[in-house]
Amino acid sequence: MTIINYLYIKNDPCCHVIALSFYFPAETNVLFYLNDAVTQLLEHKEEYTQFGVARYFAEYFTSVKNGNHVLFREFSYIKATTHNRESFIHIFWKCFRQIGKNGDLLAMAEYSSLLQLLCPDFPTEMVQNAARIVLIEDATDCLMSFSDFIYSFQIQFYFEEFVESVSVIYQDLLSGKSPNTVIVPTSTSVEQLSSAANEEPDAQGGVDSSIFCECIEGLCERFKHKFPSSVAIKEILESSQRVSFYGFLMALAKHEGVNQDIGALPNKPDLLIDPEMDQELERL
Amino acid sequence: MAEKRRAGVAIMSDSKSAKAAGDEQLLSQAGVSALLRGALLRLLESRPLDPVGFLAEHFAHLSSEAEDGAPERRSVSRALWHLSLAHHSHRSAFNNNVRVAYELLTQSVPRRLGAGGVRGRLYSEMLRCLCSEGGLSGSTAAPLLRRIQSHDYESVPFELFRQGVLTCAVFADYIRKSQCLYAAVASAPDRPAERTLCQAVLSTLREALETAGGADVARYLEASAKISPAKVAQAMAEVQPRAQQQDGPTMDAQEFEDDAAALFIARVRTVT
Repeated sequence: MTIINYLYIKNDPCCHVIALSFYFPAETNVLFYLNDAVTQLLEHKEEYTQFGVARYFAEYFTSVKNGNHVLFREFSYIKATTHNRESFIHIFWKCFRQIGKNGDLLAMAEYSSLLQLLCPDFPTEMVQNAARIVLIEDATDCLMSFSDFIYSFQIQFYFEEFVESVSVIYQDLLSGKSPNTVIVPTSTSVEQLSSAANEEPDAQGGVDSSIFCECIEGLCERFKHKFPSSVAIKEILESSQRVSFYGFLMALAKHEGVNQDIGALPNKPDLLIDPEMDQELERL
Repeated sequence: MAEKRRAGVAIMSDSKSAKAAGDEQLLSQAGVSALLRGALLRLLESRPLDPVGFLAEHFAHLSSEAEDGAPERRSVSRALWHLSLAHHSHRSAFNNNVRVAYELLTQSVPRRLGAGGVRGRLYSEMLRCLCSEGGLSGSTAAPLLRRIQSHDYESVPFELFRQGVLTCAVFADYIRKSQCLYAAVASAPDRPAERTLCQAVLSTLREALETAGGADVARYLEASAKISPAKVAQAMAEVQPRAQQQDGPTMDAQEFEDDAAALFIARVRTVT
């Protein structure tokens, strides 16, 4: 029995879902978008059915393709796919880059409000985590520039699961617990591990970079979520002997290659360029 | 995360509440189920590289068709779009798309004019567009088109349509490959390649085409793919001792492309 025959047996779209999951790789998330399109249609049927459902679906998928689909949607939707995350970061940049141009410094709570303009239930916790990257954990009520904030926010949001897992690895290394990956200890690495354990958890020293690097590589081998390229990670961790957690994240935020791979934001020199707004402002 | 929701999650969840029943009714009344089923089948048949973009176009075409019917101009561009979805080497997907394109073009012909088949003028225009979308210049494509296009008034049956479309697609790939071969042979990007080297490569191409045999055009490309780098290197090595001087006669890129094109076109049967 071919897949096509099977599709005709049941008279509802559910079985198509199963068929599609065989043919399309997960990254395209076609099923997710189809599912969401139908759910949205049912929730707002009065708005949509008057224009015809074909037009509704056409607009839905066009907006997905163009990256506008995440505007004013709930947090669970915008974080659901990497395309959605990248689109959201891009839209945040487009909407608020003028702030950067003016050179304004904002507090974490203000950035949180801006995010909630675009996504009503965006969690402040995530904004806090992003702020910690900029401010290296201390004094999260300090002011941040738009540029510093947005690149750190990008890392925190786009690689949320990776950041969480790396945090666990880092804590384990600090406390001297052996991490999930088995590292065959040479006498030097054991020394380094135990000396890391002897330091206080919030010591400035951080952890040994090469051990940290090995642990992260081990994580990435079996990791199901997005993570930065191993080239970038190695580059960052080979540049110093010891590294702190927020130091590592900050380096990721500043890394041009990582930024380009994500594709949501231009590199730093071009971040504040907004020719259309400049024209508008000149008219005033 | 999306991965958890992906496989096998029904749109109608397991609740049997009145809301679910009402939703189902709405979906079938508004024709949503049929619409989705059609879209999903097209998706599975075409297997495009960009499924989201494909769905956007698919629904846009449907809605504009519903609004004002499909004039002829739009049929050609829609047919072309369908043909661009799958590479000709994905044989079943490509053939499906050819079938859809064919039906799109026959629909735009009023029934009384012909006994089925695509109008010759539309067919020739399709082939011209296919060649130019495949990156072929007008002059490169012209000799091929002269052989396979049909008269404006003729009616083109499906098999001929399919052969013509396939030939253009394969030819575009073939020319691209020849361009790569030329670039490999030329010692520097801005200087033309040596004539003897080019001729060695061209004769390897000819040999490969000759061993292809059979009427199936796609085999020509498979044959040219058999020109492994090793074979080209061998041919070049044989030529090399005679071509020691740097300023021997050269062949420029266009001449090479024209010669390579001629080898291919010579094997295409003229449509009468």
